[in-house]
Amino acid sequence: MYRWKKKIAPYLFVLPNLIIFSIFIVFPALFGFYVSFTEWDVLTSPEFIGLGNFIKLFQSADFWAILSRTLIYVFSVVPITFGLSMVLAIILDRNIKAKGFFRAIFYLPTMLSFIVIGVSWRWILGNNFGILNYLLDLAGMAPVNWLTNSTTATIMVIFASVWARVGYFMVMFIAGLQGIPGVYYEAAEIDGASKWQQFRHITFPLLKPTSLVVVVLSTIQAFKMFGLIKVMTTGGPGDSTTYLVQEIYQQAFQVGDMGYASAMSVMLFLILGLLTIVQFKVSNRGGNAYE
Amino acid sequence: MRKNLLITITALLLVGLMAVPVFAQKTVLDFVWFSDGVEGEVLKDIIADYKEEHPDVDFNIIEVPYNELNTKIKTMVAGGNPPDLARVSNPGELSSALLNLNDSIGQDYLDNFVESTHPYVMVDGKMLAIPIDVTANGIIYNKDYFEAAGIDVPDTEEELDDLWTWEEWANALEKVVENSDARYGLAYDYSPHRWSTLLYQAGGSFFSKDWSEVTINSPEGERAVEFFVELHDRNIIPESIWLGGENPNTLFRSGLTAMHFAGNWMLTNYRDNIENFDWGVAYMPKGKIRSSVVGGKFVAGFKDSDNKEAAVDFLKYFSSQEVNAKFCEESLFLSARTDNSKLNYSFGSDMFEIFSNELAVSPPEAGSDWAYNEAMSRIYDDIRQNIVKSIQHEITPKEAVENMEELAKSEIENIEN
Repeated sequence: MYRWKKKIAPYLFVLPNLIIFSIFIVFPALFGFYVSFTEWDVLTSPEFIGLGNFIKLFQSADFWAILSRTLIYVFSVVPITFGLSMVLAIILDRNIKAKGFFRAIFYLPTMLSFIVIGVSWRWILGNNFGILNYLLDLAGMAPVNWLTNSTTATIMVIFASVWARVGYFMVMFIAGLQGIPGVYYEAAEIDGASKWQQFRHITFPLLKPTSLVVVVLSTIQAFKMFGLIKVMTTGGPGDSTTYLVQEIYQQAFQVGDMGYASAMSVMLFLILGLLTIVQFKVSNRGGNAYE
Repeated sequence: MRKNLLITITALLLVGLMAVPVFAQKTVLDFVWFSDGVEGEVLKDIIADYKEEHPDVDFNIIEVPYNELNTKIKTMVAGGNPPDLARVSNPGELSSALLNLNDSIGQDYLDNFVESTHPYVMVDGKMLAIPIDVTANGIIYNKDYFEAAGIDVPDTEEELDDLWTWEEWANALEKVVENSDARYGLAYDYSPHRWSTLLYQAGGSFFSKDWSEVTINSPEGERAVEFFVELHDRNIIPESIWLGGENPNTLFRSGLTAMHFAGNWMLTNYRDNIENFDWGVAYMPKGKIRSSVVGGKFVAGFKDSDNKEAAVDFLKYFSSQEVNAKFCEESLFLSARTDNSKLNYSFGSDMFEIFSNELAVSPPEAGSDWAYNEAMSRIYDDIRQNIVKSIQHEITPKEAVENMEELAKSEIENIEN
């Protein structure tokens, strides 16, 4: 009896979480997968159409344009976030003045919702009501069309996305840095290694597990970025900041084509899955840095 | 003694239990509603009056922002819990979920409502909603700025023979910017529906009146896009609206623009929020012809609702002449009922007359195009994208209307299949 209880207890402990996870994640995901093979406008019953939505997706020039825009956005946001958060972590891990204050300042945006961040940046960058253009005007400079020019709008969206999350990853890197034994640096200094050599041969390799988590999480976050862009540019000007998740929302709730939107979601899932596998493979190739 | 007490308690419990079904029998109507202005408050008054006559009916008002309206209704329907009533602007978009009113109210009832609303509510021979109010696109202007610039704005019937042409209108807007504190001439709603006013004024349309042909790819369609692009190129319309999503209401209210291209639904908002300048409604310029665009708000029941009978009864009450007059007068709306064409508004009667006159001269396509909900909802965003790309000079106006035509044809093919 006791042995049986001991066996069943862990499962009972995870059961509540499993139920919630199944209701809100697993079942909707499976249902979404099923819907991707149907034509469904929500109001009537789904009609099975096989691979129809996927064929339409691959034949759509719009989908490929949106996908390439999304990849540009993701492959801009992820390296910048990664590099910047690592640099900030290294600086703020040293014994500098007001270290706690700066850590708090950089971490602060991560406590705000993406909607609040989007609204704030919209008010800063707006053409006519924006604070930045007001300041430029006071300085006697011409206003800049921050959000009404495709190029500047894309840059600003990337900038705001990085700003929103760099503090979060900075904290992860700081934790990683604090886990590196100081004796490695002492030994390196005795051997005459420069600061750059110490970073290259000690810090960077030993941060590999943290780096992998940062890259995977920031990639997933970038692909899924919705609220910030929705309120900051509403995907514009035109569709220049419309990425995959914005288009999924558009197709599902504006056009009412749930099947097509679900097919796009499945594609997004496959892309994310593939990238994550690649990231793990690449990361494992070098072996464990401590070995 | 104890026995008596026991009997009394038992009796009281039984009476209490018998009373429960009495309360439970009260019908509660879930009513999905959105407000542009004060009409939500007016509805509450009307419901209070209705409840006095029908104490067995109660209402659960589910108020949602207009942008979320269809999503909310679709989610409720998909979840197997449809509302009993909803205020909608596109009954056709929800047609498969709506209650057919042919038997309970009868199609003859539609004779009481202006003809332009009929295509909106009649889908495949079924009457799916009741028109409540109609909307008209039009222009609202800052009187102080135009006076300062010495420009006379056509806003009386006497001036109807001497309306601005498009070119004269654009020149007047440039002049008002030069001679007043306005930074821009015109705030133009970020909406293909509002843009289409220019299309109809140019003599074009999206579809033929019977929806059998796509007609947007025409010299008139091209001219409408071209003129709209020109208004942006000349910095008359700030590009921050169509390219940056800036709110045109805020631009006008804050005095940055001299005119706002919107519609009659903005009147209560501006009445309540503009204090530092005088404003009014003007007649729109004419292209080849004069035109506004008719729209409307409707109330519909749902076929899977548990309270269809009570919902139909309220629909009849709400759309009756007396109640409709109260609703439109107090909300400052144009009534969809023909016998409520003259109402006693507490504010801006002259402005309502301008909107009514604009609707009266609009071609039938300005109504029938937008009643073709099934197609319009699918191409709406792409129309906007093509106009935006024209403003950005990524494509020519000719290419824009060609794209719109191609898209509309493909979507209609999808609908027919």
